[in-house]
Amino acid sequence: MKMFNKLMLSVALGSAAAGAAAAQTEVVIWVGGEPGETTIYETLADELSAANPDVVYTVVTNTSDVFNPALVPALSAGEGPDLFTFGTGPGQPAALIDGGLVADLTPYYYEHGWDEVIPEGVLMQTSKDGKLWALGNEVESTGIFYNKAIFEEVGIAVPRTWAEMQAAVAALKEAGYDTPIGLGAADKWSISHWQSMMFGRYAGPEGIENVLFADGKWTDAPFVAASDRLQQMGSDGWFGPNPVAINYAEMMDSFWAGDLPMTFTGPWVINGGIDAAGDRAGQYGVFQAPPFEEGQEIVPTESIGNGWYIRSNSEHKDEAVAYLNALFMTTEGRTKLLTGGMVPVGPLGEASQNAQIPEMRAELNASVDRYRDNGTVPAFLDTITPGRLTNVAYDGLQALLLDAMSPEEFTQELQSAWEKAKEDGEAMEQGGVAPR
Amino acid sequence: MFSDTSSRLSKVLAPLLFLLPALAIYLTFAIYPTLSVVQYSFHDWDGISPDMEWVGLGNYLEMFDDRIFWEAFRNTFAWSAFIIVINVGLGLVIAAMLSRVWRARLILQTAIVLPVVLAPVTVATIWRWMYQPDGVINEAFRGVGLEALATPWLGSPDVVLFALAFAHSWSTIGLSVIIFLAGLQAVDEDLYDAAKVDGATTLQAFRHVTMPALRPVTAVVFILTLTASFKVFDIIWATTQGGPIRSSELLSTYMYKRGALENNYGYGAAIGVALLVIVSLATIIYMQIQEKKDA
Repeated sequence: MKMFNKLMLSVALGSAAAGAAAAQTEVVIWVGGEPGETTIYETLADELSAANPDVVYTVVTNTSDVFNPALVPALSAGEGPDLFTFGTGPGQPAALIDGGLVADLTPYYYEHGWDEVIPEGVLMQTSKDGKLWALGNEVESTGIFYNKAIFEEVGIAVPRTWAEMQAAVAALKEAGYDTPIGLGAADKWSISHWQSMMFGRYAGPEGIENVLFADGKWTDAPFVAASDRLQQMGSDGWFGPNPVAINYAEMMDSFWAGDLPMTFTGPWVINGGIDAAGDRAGQYGVFQAPPFEEGQEIVPTESIGNGWYIRSNSEHKDEAVAYLNALFMTTEGRTKLLTGGMVPVGPLGEASQNAQIPEMRAELNASVDRYRDNGTVPAFLDTITPGRLTNVAYDGLQALLLDAMSPEEFTQELQSAWEKAKEDGEAMEQGGVAPR
Repeated sequence: MFSDTSSRLSKVLAPLLFLLPALAIYLTFAIYPTLSVVQYSFHDWDGISPDMEWVGLGNYLEMFDDRIFWEAFRNTFAWSAFIIVINVGLGLVIAAMLSRVWRARLILQTAIVLPVVLAPVTVATIWRWMYQPDGVINEAFRGVGLEALATPWLGSPDVVLFALAFAHSWSTIGLSVIIFLAGLQAVDEDLYDAAKVDGATTLQAFRHVTMPALRPVTAVVFILTLTASFKVFDIIWATTQGGPIRSSELLSTYMYKRGALENNYGYGAAIGVALLVIVSLATIIYMQIQEKKDA
């Protein structure tokens, strides 16, 4: 009888445990990254799961080449993650929205005070038809990363004018650095970072917005001049003899190995760079390229890397929103993001004082802050313009570097692709969330 | 009488029943997707939205006016021609030489076949490294005083397509060699002896004995090489993504760009159908030429 009672007790306890497990809600989160790499997202998911015994947050990390092909069919089948990161702007996000695969986040925007945190520029890329569809993730800016030890060895300082920049490049070449500025142009997107920055410098924030949302043209004089300058830099060997033959990862390896004096890139390289450079990490710094022309202003670049979306038929929307709130709407979460190498959207405030930021990151942030009053321009035009334009731009930029196309032809090709994309309704519409 | 009919029926049905599982798999995983691609090609579809807009022949008409499609078309033909010459021509020569080598034959055979088992992305990585401006190939040229031949292989629009085609051939020629070797084993040795008696040189024996005897095998290798070369995607995507300036753009990479990257699956599908038609036509034409020769 005793044995029977024990058995019954075990069964009862087992059932209770199973019942508790069944009652537990699992919120599945997909993020981009290297599999096996522990990201801030996982750390936060574990903390949030521990604080909420009824909810388990599971983070799945995958590289973008695996991520997107898996995500779209999963969402189309009414399955997939409850919460996920994905690109913003036109193209696929628009298709996700039009296909009814992602949830309208506008109610949460007002209910949880997101409107006080998300800047207007970010809102423009994450909203459509007056509704918010994604919460902008980290802000990314670009700048010229440089090797201070090489600068010191060659006897040059951070250039503040175009003449100083020309002199610095000449001095570096004289000292035997065939590639003063590393550019892995076999990966076409890396040239488009130069294009975005230089288009922004020559046209200014209004000039860019005028093309994106009004009747401005890519053939306007500032864009031709910017393309001309980029081509000139290539012809003069600023990017080395064969930038188009080298891919981005190999170029960055050379940069962190101390073989290249400069490169133009963004914050995503910092953590890996610190690991790669080891003891020499302190040798690296960041500055904003000087004005390319007399009287031109330095306008920093700023874009969001991607956005957070919630699956439209997820049964755990509130839990997903709780995760986003913990990540972006609390000082603690924002501090962790900053320490983890990401700049969350919106004012940093207390978080920037609490966070432990690598020196290189701090220099990049400071270089952006110094010129922020001049406005900001998109760091990645290729993420906010239609794929049709991106492909034309990518090929055209390589053609510019190889002197196979004139700046006028390049901008004309951009404009033709842009007009076709606008005609087909592929261009990004002026965003913004309708007032409550 | 009844028993005769039943036996005849079972003779017809039994093979069909045995074929059924394979047929079901083939219909599900080959025919259905192919027909779906044909269906998509008549629509304007972003690949996500549940609604597809019927555009009839719109995508095909757009293709005729698409400059980049024709660039990719020309590149694909040049790419395939180069690979066919290497894999069929050189593959046959290598197989013929190997069939006459006894010492170290296994080592040589293994060395030639080994790249076949490498994943295409691995092949791409190996050759990307070798083709670097300061990679082993250019360093070797510089080392022997042929600096003029050192070139940015993957950065030069003039050579990139053939540099990558060579890399692809390196990784696939082993299969051709194996098939030719198998064919060579079936050639009657008496024919070579007779040619020798008639005073034929090695080259003449190869031209008048080996090549005609291997005609059916050559047809198989040709068709396999042709279809495989038209479908190549990985090595291009992992090295140049069709660049620089589209000089290594193939129909397969262009199809991916327009379809998956630009969310224009209808147009991408139309390129896929065009590719299918081109490969089928090329195969049919080659088969007919062969049949005429045999006749």
